Amino acid sequence: MNVGIAQGERNPNSSWLNSRGVWLTYIILVFVLHFILLSIPYITTSVAWTLTTTIHNLCNYYLFHVVKGAPWETSDQGRARRFTFWEQIDDGIQWTGTRKFLQIVPVVLFFIASFYTKYDKTHFLINLATMLLAVVPKFPIFFGVRLLDINRY
Amino acid sequence: MGSSANQDNVASLATDFYSLLESFKETPFYHLLFEIFLVLTVLWLILFRKPRRIEKKLTEKEKQELIDEWQPEPLVPPVDANHPALNVRVLDGIVGKTIEIDGKKSLNFATFNFLNFVGNPRIADKAIQAVQKYGVGSCGPRGFYGTIDIHLELEERLAHFFNCEEGIIYSYGFSTVASIIPAYSKRNDILFVDEGVHYAIQKGVEASRSTVKWFRHNDISDLERLLAEQDIHDKKNPKKARTLRRFLIIEGLYMNYGDLCPLPRMVELKYQYKYRIFMDESVSFGTIGQTGRGVTEYYNIDRRKIDLISSSLEYSVGSIGGFAVGSSFVVDHQRLSAQGYCFSASLPPLLAAAAIEALNIMEEKDTTLCDTLMEKSKRLHRKLLDIKGYLIVGEDISPLKHLRLTNSQNTVARLEEIVEFAQTRGITITVARYLNDEHHLPEPSIRLILNVEMTDEELEFLCTVLQEARVKVTV
Repeated sequence: MNVGIAQGERNPNSSWLNSRGVWLTYIILVFVLHFILLSIPYITTSVAWTLTTTIHNLCNYYLFHVVKGAPWETSDQGRARRFTFWEQIDDGIQWTGTRKFLQIVPVVLFFIASFYTKYDKTHFLINLATMLLAVVPKFPIFFGVRLLDINRY
Repeated sequence: MGSSANQDNVASLATDFYSLLESFKETPFYHLLFEIFLVLTVLWLILFRKPRRIEKKLTEKEKQELIDEWQPEPLVPPVDANHPALNVRVLDGIVGKTIEIDGKKSLNFATFNFLNFVGNPRIADKAIQAVQKYGVGSCGPRGFYGTIDIHLELEERLAHFFNCEEGIIYSYGFSTVASIIPAYSKRNDILFVDEGVHYAIQKGVEASRSTVKWFRHNDISDLERLLAEQDIHDKKNPKKARTLRRFLIIEGLYMNYGDLCPLPRMVELKYQYKYRIFMDESVSFGTIGQTGRGVTEYYNIDRRKIDLISSSLEYSVGSIGGFAVGSSFVVDHQRLSAQGYCFSASLPPLLAAAAIEALNIMEEKDTTLCDTLMEKSKRLHRKLLDIKGYLIVGEDISPLKHLRLTNSQNTVARLEEIVEFAQTRGITITVARYLNDEHHLPEPSIRLILNVEMTDEELEFLCTVLQEARVKVTV
């Protein structure tokens, strides 16, 4: 991460997603999840893909938009305490490479899932719902927004 | 067999995929539209959105408003010219039996100069010789080129003085006891501490992170109650109790109260309830006991029963630093575990030489220093008892006494007035000051320190001045 560098990182949460190999690992992890789901005998391919996208999007939503603060002793004097992980990435700069990547992955997963579920309506609705849950909060309009005061403090 | 099964599998995969591709051709119209929309959005995201920071934009008008509103605060806020912090007494020269304040000499009853070693020419000479031999500083902690033969000599002399196996010296009196306590007592251990201990001990107790049980000052029955409670607790969980360490932290002569601890009873309880005693003899070293060996000599208790005796070299000895004496097994642990020993520069050799010379004076063949001090303390105590309106707190043999005003007149302001009046008459005394986070803040008092070389007339003069001051203040 940032072991052995001369400058201190005020909040490691802002930069660790830019590290070498993180994007590839992220994609690989999604596929590992999918393979695990595929190996369960009574699940068909389409259900497996829908499950993959659902689990991925729900985890994505929870980890990026619900959990606040950082699991480190940060030296930013507690500025990151009220911000979700998504808001901390790259210290709040919008439209960086990482953010675009993270926004596109649920969309791509949606495409793949729709293909494998043969465009079935139910699957479509489920995948659409979770995709919106994962993609919409990532837009800059929602930066710092807490709807209905949920999760404000 | 295997290969045909494989071929079947591959064939089935191929048909699966073919069926998927077929279904792609039959996608619902809305779905196709939606997907095209998504693809376009993704492309727009990737190609046309550049990184930018989110900032609150202030208009020029708002910026100008903020600038106009700002009022600079003065560097120093307006303060009353009579504020006590602006009228401090400034000392000039050596702070011995007499001190010079604002050009006038006055008798010093304020500093901890029990045996009048501050400014003693013998000690000063030895210190100067040490500067010429060793230089000024020791340039390092004890573990890293900072140990000089004079440190080892001082440790040996202190151990010999107390008839203990080993001694260890520190370079700062406050951090002596504050490093010793956390070196032995760790997070889950139990400390029984007297409420009246001084600030350094309180900080040491805090740093150790142990469970602290405070008992009322010099109240043996309270201590017994706490010990009994702890005993019941231990009996419920003997396995855990065997891993707990228990310590009793007390002072020989309490700096905040001037009274002796009931040591014999505490040693009895030690063997009954199994705890270790750490005694801080900062004030009683060199002042109590016939030869100045402290409270253990006064009560005639074998020093091997006290696990560790620590003290400061800054009071009777007139040097800087502190020390601890005890059995080798106990004291040696501090050489690696005591923070103030390992991570501070060692005592400058000239101060170690001064301490050795002070010990020489104390150990002289027919010295009556400590006897005289105890006698004079008793005499002063009797004289002070004769003055109406003061409450004397402290033992009669203690050279450190606390004076309080009787009734409800005991406030810091009145005591400061008394101190000011005494200063105009040529007596320097001081109000005992404490920090805000003292665990058990004592009542306001004037802390009187007796110097062994004060003559009877000077003591009489002190009492006269105190009497006059009282009349003036309570009128």
